[in-house]
Amino acid sequence: MGNLHEISDIAIEYLKSKDGIKGDIHVYECETHEITMKDGKFTLFRTMFDENIRTKVIKDHKKGTGSINKFTKEAVIKVIDDAITSADAGEADVCFDIAPGFGEETYEMGVLEPDIDKLIERTKELAETITKRFKKIKLMELYTKYIRSTGVYINTNGSKEEKSCGYYQVVVEFAGNDGENSTGIAGSYAVFDSLDKELIEVGNIEKDLINTENSLNPITLKDKFDGDIILTPDCAVQLLSFLLSVGVGERNIIDKTSVWYDKIGQQVASPLLTLGANTWDDRIIDHETHTDDGFKSEDSTIIGKGVLKSYLLSLYGANKTGFERALNTSMAAVVEPGDTAYDDMIKSVKKGLIVGAVSCGIPSSNGEISGVAKNSFYVENGEVKSAVIETMISANLFDMFKNIKAISKEQLCNGTMVMPAIQISGVTISGK
Amino acid sequence: MLEDILSGKKSLFETGVQTVLRGQENRNRMVVILNGNLVTNSRSENSGISARVYKNGIYGFASTAEYSEEAAAKVIEAATNNARYLGKYAASDYTQYDAIANSYLTSPRMIIDIEQKRFVDLCKEVDAYIAKTYPDLLSRRVVYREDSMEKIIVTSDASDGHVAYPRCMLFFTLTKEGKDGNPVEVGDFVGGFGNIDDQCKDMNVIYDKIAEIYKQLQDKAEGVYAEAGVKTVILHPDVAGMIAHEAIGHTVEADLVDGGSVAGPNFGKEVASSLVSIVDFAHTALGETAPLPVYIDDEGVPAKDAVLLENGILKGYMHDRESAKRYGVEPTGNARGYSFNDEPLIRMRNTAVLPGKDKLEDMIASIDDGYYLIATGNGQADLTGEFMFGINMGYEIKNGKLGKAILDTTVSGVAFDMLKTVDMVSDTVKWMGVGTCGKKQAMAVSMGGPAIKCKINIGGR
Repeated sequence: MGNLHEISDIAIEYLKSKDGIKGDIHVYECETHEITMKDGKFTLFRTMFDENIRTKVIKDHKKGTGSINKFTKEAVIKVIDDAITSADAGEADVCFDIAPGFGEETYEMGVLEPDIDKLIERTKELAETITKRFKKIKLMELYTKYIRSTGVYINTNGSKEEKSCGYYQVVVEFAGNDGENSTGIAGSYAVFDSLDKELIEVGNIEKDLINTENSLNPITLKDKFDGDIILTPDCAVQLLSFLLSVGVGERNIIDKTSVWYDKIGQQVASPLLTLGANTWDDRIIDHETHTDDGFKSEDSTIIGKGVLKSYLLSLYGANKTGFERALNTSMAAVVEPGDTAYDDMIKSVKKGLIVGAVSCGIPSSNGEISGVAKNSFYVENGEVKSAVIETMISANLFDMFKNIKAISKEQLCNGTMVMPAIQISGVTISGK
Repeated sequence: MLEDILSGKKSLFETGVQTVLRGQENRNRMVVILNGNLVTNSRSENSGISARVYKNGIYGFASTAEYSEEAAAKVIEAATNNARYLGKYAASDYTQYDAIANSYLTSPRMIIDIEQKRFVDLCKEVDAYIAKTYPDLLSRRVVYREDSMEKIIVTSDASDGHVAYPRCMLFFTLTKEGKDGNPVEVGDFVGGFGNIDDQCKDMNVIYDKIAEIYKQLQDKAEGVYAEAGVKTVILHPDVAGMIAHEAIGHTVEADLVDGGSVAGPNFGKEVASSLVSIVDFAHTALGETAPLPVYIDDEGVPAKDAVLLENGILKGYMHDRESAKRYGVEPTGNARGYSFNDEPLIRMRNTAVLPGKDKLEDMIASIDDGYYLIATGNGQADLTGEFMFGINMGYEIKNGKLGKAILDTTVSGVAFDMLKTVDMVSDTVKWMGVGTCGKKQAMAVSMGGPAIKCKINIGGR
């Protein structure tokens, strides 16, 4: 941390030496240890050390930003000078600003002293467990990582924050394979802060493996119909991120192309849906502590019982539009659980799909979306019949989240989000 | 420009251990103007050194942001220690891969740093032009982006090199109210290899392209939903290029073949119409410098073309040194890492469907009821070859003529099935030189192709 303080002090003093400038400096260093297995064998061990200085300056209401991954005095001066030069080249806009000072804060979170040997043992154990228990899984790649970052954030309004955070991460890529047939690539991902339990129990790894084994020999649906879909937690967060991007994202609010423009306080989704960006939730491992503009991060409800509560606006976006800024910029998505058991959701489906992911383009502002249902299963009369291939779903995102029928009691917590399964009616499902 | 402080460090490589030392710098420049407001104005530089060693069947890798001779020595030692450390846990079936004759390769040009004001002024000029010329828009967005990289490669048993990939692009996106009151959007870009002086010199080229997409936007504002189902379509070269990259290219990357891709059991078989040939070009394509010329990869392999499909037959894969050894072929120079701290992976370079003999107008005239699919924002495919692409712009074809524009939709299929339905291929290849592939790491790629006529599953309402 010593070097970080030295560099951040040099940077802020240099910034303050420039007349009429306000801005911020974020200095951080990051250490990553990554272990890779391919096809069940260790293949690669990486150790990466990185460092970065990022600055934002506002001069005469003009903004410029810059970053460089060097901790020398020359690099500090260069990156600030570059940002000022960029600002000079820009357009004045009184909406550019930084947060008022919040004094001094210090945060420590997660695992700051890793156990790399134990991580390697857990990695090997996971590969062995998959090989032993999942005979129809081809384990393509398995990565585990330990990441520790330490940083200092400081701005010209008097904020200074120190943060240290460390966590483990696992990424598993696999496919169903019975020797003759193969499924598409499936994956599972989780962030965690303890090596006490086997990695097979972390996140949704075990269920994802089971679902992929069951995805061999998929059927092709021949017809086109409107039915229910059950979004798995992974798929729910994918579609919710699209919804937030087009519905409450800064670009679409500033240019007024969002379907939800000027609908704060209005019912825009099913009353069953409460979606928060809850950076301080205990189940989230790496908590965002300040926003990009320098405000202390707070939990935020974006949709409460279907009512639109906030947009994802920066301070600039808020100043530009007159709406409130977002209380954090973390996108630590937390959806409140419902009162329906996941198995009961399936039993209630007359004809539809369980959708594990949607392979699709990013939707336009109008929310129209159509894509291929991946890692998905056909459900008829309350029973899961078979995995599907070459099956598309089409809907409008804004309509989809109005048509929620149920939200599961169970939630998936993978260290970055907390998400239940979501059942939606009236989605167009078309086979080949 | 990176100073070569690495070549003298070969003496630090452990004897008999295959080692690559890489110095790299990535430069990014970004300017975004949204409805006249300059909302992004940024510059970033990211550089450092990495070493990768291959010892007893294990790769050890280490990197640091410091760019110095001392840092080079440290990462060589750390990478060697990492290979040794992980070796404790790994059974070894180690075979060294074959040595490559040493040579020194360079790019014909390096990166030129240009002041930010040029980018801001360009975006302001384009934005002002759009605002004045097309006042009925709901929204307009102009983005200038540079993502350039420079590398110094020093190896124990292959070629060395100093190469650069300067790249820039200017995007413009226009939004208009559609007939149902919802916004519709169309975008396009100019850009490719080089810098602002290479790609954005002639404003008339930019304004012509904006006029073209404004016309498309007007059509789309009156657009209709595509009818769902399997349809006869013509894929614009941009869409055909995406097919070459996503639906075929990834399945023939040797690491994904090892993962069980559909290309494994189909090697040497007829997987497409005989009209279809696909090549991943290294640095020269169809008699010209490729949009993203790669002369040496990050393992020190001089890059050469990888023929993937030839007249419908699956002929080859893309390789790194390790997979080439395993498959008993020459490596193709496809191993590249995005940042200094990324390990090289098998990546595409300039992947294209080769041209045929048909004229686009004849292809359109041959369809009674179908679609002409012009623009795709993105696409995905998996090991089975099942793919999907978002279609952002297209037209109906009715009785051999273009009809109404269609609203955003998605097309999907299984690559080898779809390519067997190809019965016409146009005679003109168009490149898209500013692609970014997302296989574990981001990577600059280019893709291209002619227009192709085929049957494809189209999503609709």
